[in-house]
Amino acid sequence: MSLTDLLQDKSLLVCVGPGGVGKTTVAAALALQAARAGRRTLVLTIDPARRLAAMLGLDGLDDAVRPVAIDTLPGARGHLDAAMLDTSASYDALIHRITSDPAHRQRILGNRLYRVMSRSFGAAHAYVAMERLHDVLGAGYDLVVLDTPPTRNALDILDAPNRLATFLEDGVAKWFVPTPGPGLRRRLLARGGAAASKLLGKLAGDALVHELGEFFAVFMSLREGFQQRAEAVQRVLRADSSGFVLVSSALAPNLADARFLHDGLVARGIRIDAAVFNRAYTPLSDDPEEIVTVAAPRALAHADGRFVAGDPRRRLLAQIDALRAAAAADNQIAARAVDRFARELEQTCLKVQVPTFARELRDLPALAQLGDRLCADRRRRAA
Amino acid sequence: MDPEPLRPLLDRRLLLFTGKGGVGKSTVVAALAVEAAARGLHPLIVELGHRATMQGIFADATGVRVDIGHEPVPVTVDRTVWAANLDLEAAIVDYLADQVRLRSVARAIASNRALQGLFRAAPAVREIVTLNKLRLFERASTRGRPTWGPILVDLDATGHALMLLEMPRMLDELLADGPLRGLIDALTGLFTDPTRTLLSLVTLPGEIPVQETLELYQRLGGEHRVPLGALFVNDVPPPAIAGELRPHLPELAALADHANLPDLAADLQLAEQAIARDEQVLTLVARLQREIDLPLALLPRLLPHEHDLAGLQRLGRAALVASARSPSPVRWDMQERA
Repeated sequence: MSLTDLLQDKSLLVCVGPGGVGKTTVAAALALQAARAGRRTLVLTIDPARRLAAMLGLDGLDDAVRPVAIDTLPGARGHLDAAMLDTSASYDALIHRITSDPAHRQRILGNRLYRVMSRSFGAAHAYVAMERLHDVLGAGYDLVVLDTPPTRNALDILDAPNRLATFLEDGVAKWFVPTPGPGLRRRLLARGGAAASKLLGKLAGDALVHELGEFFAVFMSLREGFQQRAEAVQRVLRADSSGFVLVSSALAPNLADARFLHDGLVARGIRIDAAVFNRAYTPLSDDPEEIVTVAAPRALAHADGRFVAGDPRRRLLAQIDALRAAAAADNQIAARAVDRFARELEQTCLKVQVPTFARELRDLPALAQLGDRLCADRRRRAA
Repeated sequence: MDPEPLRPLLDRRLLLFTGKGGVGKSTVVAALAVEAAARGLHPLIVELGHRATMQGIFADATGVRVDIGHEPVPVTVDRTVWAANLDLEAAIVDYLADQVRLRSVARAIASNRALQGLFRAAPAVREIVTLNKLRLFERASTRGRPTWGPILVDLDATGHALMLLEMPRMLDELLADGPLRGLIDALTGLFTDPTRTLLSLVTLPGEIPVQETLELYQRLGGEHRVPLGALFVNDVPPPAIAGELRPHLPELAALADHANLPDLAADLQLAEQAIARDEQVLTLVARLQREIDLPLALLPRLLPHEHDLAGLQRLGRAALVASARSPSPVRWDMQERA
């Protein structure tokens, strides 16, 4: 079993992990790998990553789906699309889709709470991600690779739809369906009881209650389809056809975040299919997959018989030995941290370590190189 | 917006730190807290829920694992550094208790199932109760003196930080008057007062983190009134190869070639890569320095044996000194470690 099998078998791959570990790049590399192998693939990223757009040869990434010109890569057989989940734009698009009356739509788009929420991240982001995911899952792709926001908010994607569903079931939103004038307050009193009303007065004051009323009216109008879509997405996320890839670096703080995320996912009934440790080691051997953790000095030996003591070239060779030793020591720390982490993962979970590349990945061929490395079956480890 | 490089960070009541995940924000926060405690202050570290980063850092540093929860607990054996990790539900109770004056009533309201749904789904609730809890920490006093100072807040990823910082202003739009008015005024007062609050940025010397930091800085200048403190750049590596030795690299490359020494050729490639990385770091640091008008503190990566309290304190002291030494940054010499 390798990542190649996952890319071939699954129809949804969700990449989760802490920030700053190259998660978006790994997601894109996996999607590219699947596309090269012939699958019709979409990568849906989260961050407004200009660099990723450049790597994919696109002039930008936004809500719109754009085709990536993978036919420039030798042997590529499939198709790759890319889009970015733009919270604010997606929200507005959603409102446009569900409202037919222009005046109603304008009122929603102008609602200040709506504007606050559509610009914020967190739970609001998760609602949109859920809706967008529902959209693309029905769009005829063989595989969708979903990038997620860093650590804690990845869990929101799983929790938020449930939260909203509970919220709608409990009927709280019903209190807020706007009725003109003092009617709202009466209704609040009637339905929610004195405590809730008093609380809201305390919490917010009438201006905010009114805005909240309008705001929840939006969600009431979403309600019909929303719950079904939320449930559909929750089913898909837990289906066998979906896979979760946990991406981390080999650094202790990232691994701690990854552990938190792993536990949170498992607690929600999600199985992690693969753990990718990105930039986990500096290659120091002819075999780029070998993780060298101890490097004896060897450069300085070349000085003997060539350079006399005090020759700057001797010192240079000694510094090069020190550099290599330091890189090996870093590799060892990383390898131990990864081992500790990997031991606690499920047996069935794939573990893949990716080296630091000598050069920054800048274009499609470089991304394909990362994809090849991710999918390499052979994973050897130094003793 | 004006940086005040000459007033040290630790004078302030509220020190906010932001930066993308993985840039080592928590390490800087922990280091400054340890140094603050060593100076006789009463530091409180505040995390905003979910992650347990600080717990791990202090477990590594002290060898004792302390569960950090919603209310402050000491995280060092000498009880000089305290930490809290805010919990949404508890912060809601705190908030309500502050509003209705009766904690039991607040608990009853907060445990109402329907209202819990409301709190979780309604926008801005998390941000309001979080800001409120920070204000409560700031106001807390023991025998007539502030209980905490400085309060070091490990803000979440930049998006959340911006959301939090925007919140008073956005609510300001919504609330001409009403019960929240007083809170908004108090928060706005606290967060915009440069004598009490400073927001510092943390980043890494990498292309993406630097770009994001520049963008964040621009947004902060455009939309927010939170006074800025310093810019911390973590994990700045020591120079890979001494500058005066670099001109000799081509000679060694020629030797590797002529004498057919593949090992040496590979090692030289490693050196070239390290030098290229080094130059990129210097370019990026220069760019930060050019475009961000804040004291710039370049910090080394902690070595494995430096994750103890002494190591954290050294890092904290370096961070503090560098952040007050504007504007020319000094790369922390590895020799100073000894």
